[in-house]
Amino acid sequence: MYWSGLSAAANAAAAYQTGQTGYPVGHTPTGTYTTQRAAGSTYDTGYQTAAAAAATHSTAAGTYPSAAASATYDYGYGRTTQTAAAAAAAAYDSSKTYYAQPSTATAYTGADTHYHNKTAYTNAGAYTTTSRQTTPVVTPKTSYTSTYPGAAAAAATATYNTSPYAVQTTTANKGWFGTTTALPVYMQQTSQPATAVAAVKTPGNTWQTFKKQGTVPNKTQKPKAPPKPQQLHYCDVCKISCAGPQTYREHLEGQKHKKKEAAAKAGPTPSRHGASLRCELCDVTCTGADAYAAHIRGAKHQKVVKLHQKLGKPIPSTDPVVVGGTTKTSTTTAGTAVGAKTTTSGTTAAPTGTLAATTTTTTSDGKKDDLKEDLLDLKEKDVEPVGQEYIEEIKNEEGKVISFNCKLCECRFNDPNAKEMHMKGRRHRLQYKKKVNPELVVEVKPSLRQRKLQEEKLRRQQLREEMWRRREEERLLEEEERWYWEERRRYEEECEYLDWCRRYPRGPPGPPPMMPPGMPRPPFMPGMPPMMPMRRPDSSDDRHVLAKHAEIYPKEEELGAIQKIVSNTEKALKMVSDYLAEVDAPKEQHIKPKAKKEKEEVPKDDDDKKDGDKKEDGPPRMLKGVMRVGILAKGLLLRGDASVQLVVLCGDKPTRTLLDRVADNLPKQLAVVAPEDKYDIQRVVEEAALVVQNIGEQRISVNVTLTSPIMREQLLHDGDSQVTAVKDPPDVLDKQKCLDALAALRHAKWFQARANGLQSCVMVIRILRDLCQRVPTWGPLNSWAMELMCEKVIASAGQHLSPGDALRRVFEALASGLLLPGSPGLLDPCEKDPIDAASPLSAQEREDITASAQHALRLIAFRQIHKVLGMDPIPPPKFQRGGRFTRKRRRDNSTGEGNDSEGGDGKKDKKEDEDSKMDMDKDTNSSKHLMVEGH
Amino acid sequence: MRGGMIRPMGPGPHFGPKMKQFVPRLPFDMVLCESAFPRVKAAPDESAFTQALLKRNADLSPTPAEQAAVLNLVTKIQAVMDNLIVDPGNFDACQIEEVRQVGSYKKGTMMTGHNVADIVVILKTLPTKEAVEALGKKVCDDLRAQEPQEVLVLTMLPNDRGFEISNSEATVRVLVTTIHQNLRKLDPELHLDQKILQSHLAAIRHSRWFEENAHHSTIKVLIRLLRDLRGRFEGFEPLSPWMLDLLAHYAILNNPSRQALPINSAFRRCLQLLAAGLFLPGSAGISDPCEGGNIRVHTAMTLEQQDLVCLTAQTLLRVLSHGGYKQILGLEGNSSIASEMSVWDGVVVSALEKAYEKPPERPPQDDDTDNMDADDDPMETTDN
Repeated sequence: MYWSGLSAAANAAAAYQTGQTGYPVGHTPTGTYTTQRAAGSTYDTGYQTAAAAAATHSTAAGTYPSAAASATYDYGYGRTTQTAAAAAAAAYDSSKTYYAQPSTATAYTGADTHYHNKTAYTNAGAYTTTSRQTTPVVTPKTSYTSTYPGAAAAAATATYNTSPYAVQTTTANKGWFGTTTALPVYMQQTSQPATAVAAVKTPGNTWQTFKKQGTVPNKTQKPKAPPKPQQLHYCDVCKISCAGPQTYREHLEGQKHKKKEAAAKAGPTPSRHGASLRCELCDVTCTGADAYAAHIRGAKHQKVVKLHQKLGKPIPSTDPVVVGGTTKTSTTTAGTAVGAKTTTSGTTAAPTGTLAATTTTTTSDGKKDDLKEDLLDLKEKDVEPVGQEYIEEIKNEEGKVISFNCKLCECRFNDPNAKEMHMKGRRHRLQYKKKVNPELVVEVKPSLRQRKLQEEKLRRQQLREEMWRRREEERLLEEEERWYWEERRRYEEECEYLDWCRRYPRGPPGPPPMMPPGMPRPPFMPGMPPMMPMRRPDSSDDRHVLAKHAEIYPKEEELGAIQKIVSNTEKALKMVSDYLAEVDAPKEQHIKPKAKKEKEEVPKDDDDKKDGDKKEDGPPRMLKGVMRVGILAKGLLLRGDASVQLVVLCGDKPTRTLLDRVADNLPKQLAVVAPEDKYDIQRVVEEAALVVQNIGEQRISVNVTLTSPIMREQLLHDGDSQVTAVKDPPDVLDKQKCLDALAALRHAKWFQARANGLQSCVMVIRILRDLCQRVPTWGPLNSWAMELMCEKVIASAGQHLSPGDALRRVFEALASGLLLPGSPGLLDPCEKDPIDAASPLSAQEREDITASAQHALRLIAFRQIHKVLGMDPIPPPKFQRGGRFTRKRRRDNSTGEGNDSEGGDGKKDKKEDEDSKMDMDKDTNSSKHLMVEGH
Repeated sequence: MRGGMIRPMGPGPHFGPKMKQFVPRLPFDMVLCESAFPRVKAAPDESAFTQALLKRNADLSPTPAEQAAVLNLVTKIQAVMDNLIVDPGNFDACQIEEVRQVGSYKKGTMMTGHNVADIVVILKTLPTKEAVEALGKKVCDDLRAQEPQEVLVLTMLPNDRGFEISNSEATVRVLVTTIHQNLRKLDPELHLDQKILQSHLAAIRHSRWFEENAHHSTIKVLIRLLRDLRGRFEGFEPLSPWMLDLLAHYAILNNPSRQALPINSAFRRCLQLLAAGLFLPGSAGISDPCEGGNIRVHTAMTLEQQDLVCLTAQTLLRVLSHGGYKQILGLEGNSSIASEMSVWDGVVVSALEKAYEKPPERPPQDDDTDNMDADDDPMETTDN
């Protein structure tokens, strides 16, 4: 009865304390729970409001310990409702009475959980809408929710208490009161209050009913078993009736019962998670309104209700409190039996669970109906149903609507009311917000679990970030390192290159490096990394091109043999020249007039001087110099090439006589130069040439063409001096051939000036030469046009190209119609008049080459460059990963400078000096890497 | 000599961590390296070709009547939508954020016989199929209310991109999309496909870009010609209108002088670029100006399609260079020139074969490293 005192006087302190004493243990645990609760679910707000109410009521709120607060909380609720009713004091009393009893019986812990839930529900709907409860209450409510964490001490405590209380009830209840026996009493009490509340009838009632409901579970939990006076032996825990005392006792001793009992003690916990609905009667927890409604309708529940009804009054009194839903059902089905309690419960039920209540629309009691509607209205005002258009009606064959399907939530319900409820429901609204209108406002209600998940997520994210950061760092380090190595490698290569250039100044066919006979091509310099093994092939195309290049590149024996015969021939020719000069010197007047009628002293060809370093200044010679031209000069020798070209520049127009003289003398000189080698020499007058062939297993022929710059000079000046042509000696050699030889000389010079220095260019030209030899379609493309084209195309890229890219670009150019009619053509830079270097090609040949190039281009683009190159595909390198330089690679690379003598010997030898010069395109590597990695 | 030694980066080229960027190369482009290829002989006279191009363009342009019809319909629909934005009334199926005209209508590259204008509607709400349909109905109803005499001819057809409203002479495709924030919330079951929605947003960017960069009328003419080409030659099917827009813009304006190329050169250049593999893997292609991250437009095509496009262009280029422009423009003959052998002036132009092969099943990597082997990378294709 202290209650009345409390409420009336609003002196909470004393009263609370008492309460505390009652609950001391429970409070501490409560605290923890509260925090979780605090999240702000509707329930919580409800609680808080209640708490707030409590606080308001008790001026002394600040003082009470949490435990006390929890106590207050319950009361507070009662009060609020009561206040709503108007006379707080009176209400209190009623509640008191009812409470008082509970106080004796610890049992009500279990009930509490329910209580909380329920209250929550009511709050959401009815509370706010009616809001009327004590005005003071309302305001604190709001403030509480928002300020919860930081709320003033007093207020905070109050709220705290309340929430913890609830929690405690759930979890800790057992601990406290759990075992206490008082339950039955409690139940009775509850029933009484219920009636009291019913009398009040105001919205406030709902609260009370809730309480009752809350209480109901208690009783359920409590083994009421013994009390049954009737013949019915009912086990309250298990909700079964036993046929007789014997079986009942057995049941009580049975495992099943014990388990249930134990569960019931611990029980509050499961029921407690926020949104679940509980049928106290059956001790069944439902996750949602639908499930709950279904349960209420279900046979099991009906059975229990019947049973309870059968059991008679004592039980029924408990029933009503239990669940609004249950009561309701009872009202609908067998309202009379339950009696007063049921009615009250019904009223309460309606608000609580709009959910449960709505399902059963028909209630006998008019009052109840009104109430329900009120509540519904209230709720509806609050929440507009949304997403009507996403609820599908499922009809049976007759077109009758049998059920509804919500497409947003993927759930179905049979009942139109359930549909209505669903549309207002939080879940549905959330789905709607998520899937239809993101701006829809749905109250937030992060549950404990969600929060935990959230935290978990955050934590994981942090971890991940951390990991990424670390990885990034590692990557940076690695990159740095790699750049270092890359830099270093390039630097070394460059040094080597320069060094090498110094020793072997890249000049046009200077005197061929003399080599001891028998020793084929010495390696240029020890330690000079031959470019090919050194280069790191990067893209697949590059690797294929390089491999192909290595394949077509002449073997060192071949090169050696060619080198040998060429140098021998050159030396022999020089000696021939000396000899002729010698012979001619005395009878200069004699021969000269014969050879070069007019132009006695031909001004020395500048070119000759420069190029033919070999020539010493001496008496004017007939043979001024010998030059390499064609593939020999350009370094385009391929494997299997057995024919090279030399051009001998003559002081005057070469004549047949001169050719004969040279041819006659050459064998002798050759014998001097290379006594152990045998050479076969033929004249090919129509070609203005003689052919030196070695006799041996490797037939290599050197075509020595005689020509003279005068031939061209004459041509160039043709306009003014036709006379000169007339004055040609009768046996002058074929003019065109001589001109061709001169052109070849110019081409060689151009090549050395332009193509040699261009990255990848020589390599691509070699590859294309091979292509022209291999593929008939490409045969007609003359080599000069091809070289010119490659150079132009690659040079016009404006950037360094890797071999693969360079080759592709050439095909691109051809594919885009470089050779087709209408294109600008290939202007020959070595001719005075604009001439298309590819002019010999017929339209059909151009077309065919273009078509072939177009196909080749696509093959390259689609990773089939091996088909273009006529080779087997090369599998990707083993230890290359992720486009990064792995340690392995780096190691190989970095050690390169140290061990190239061992590692690179084989390939080094392959190299010819010119080639290596040409192909020094090392810095492509870096750019290539970029590409590779990007892929 | 490995490991450990981490030297601070020297003075050498210093690439940030970003240096991994794949730097693809542009293919050979005669226009860009004209200086390297001085003309041997004067350029052939192409006035006939130019005339043919212009004639074709005239044939392809929509008639004034068509233009008026489509303009009329677009204006009305736009007005209705604007009304819906300002005052949704009781229409609550969705909320409209913005309405924009896009596509060939907006760009002025419409073609005759295809009187369809595109409008993108950005919804503030999520574009469920129901909402879209409701919007379609609403717009249609409003239109009908405005013009009672058109009630019978107006039709509204929802589809997976939005809906189409057409009267007897014109069609307006209303493409629905939603604001960016909503894109993440989409559920394929309920809403329009996300890719489609994104493409509609992209369409807005495209038309904006076009307005700013490609208003030159030569470009529009070229786009029309290219679209026509695409329609007639199957091999060009994979080229999207947006690719064609970009290609036309590129072909006309991307030259050393930055002056628009004449239409004949530009048209040929388009074929040349495609033939040279502008849209092949490994090519820099044209990076999408409306997307971040340097996305090359052609990667939207599959490899097979890239091959097909390139192949078709290559064949057509050869036909063109042998004087077959009438066939290419569709003034004579048919599209078989792209797929069959043809003879021009005694020169046999044969069609090409596909180069792309489906990669064989790759054997499992035997090295334990991550298998993003640099050289093994699948040829870049992204589906966007």
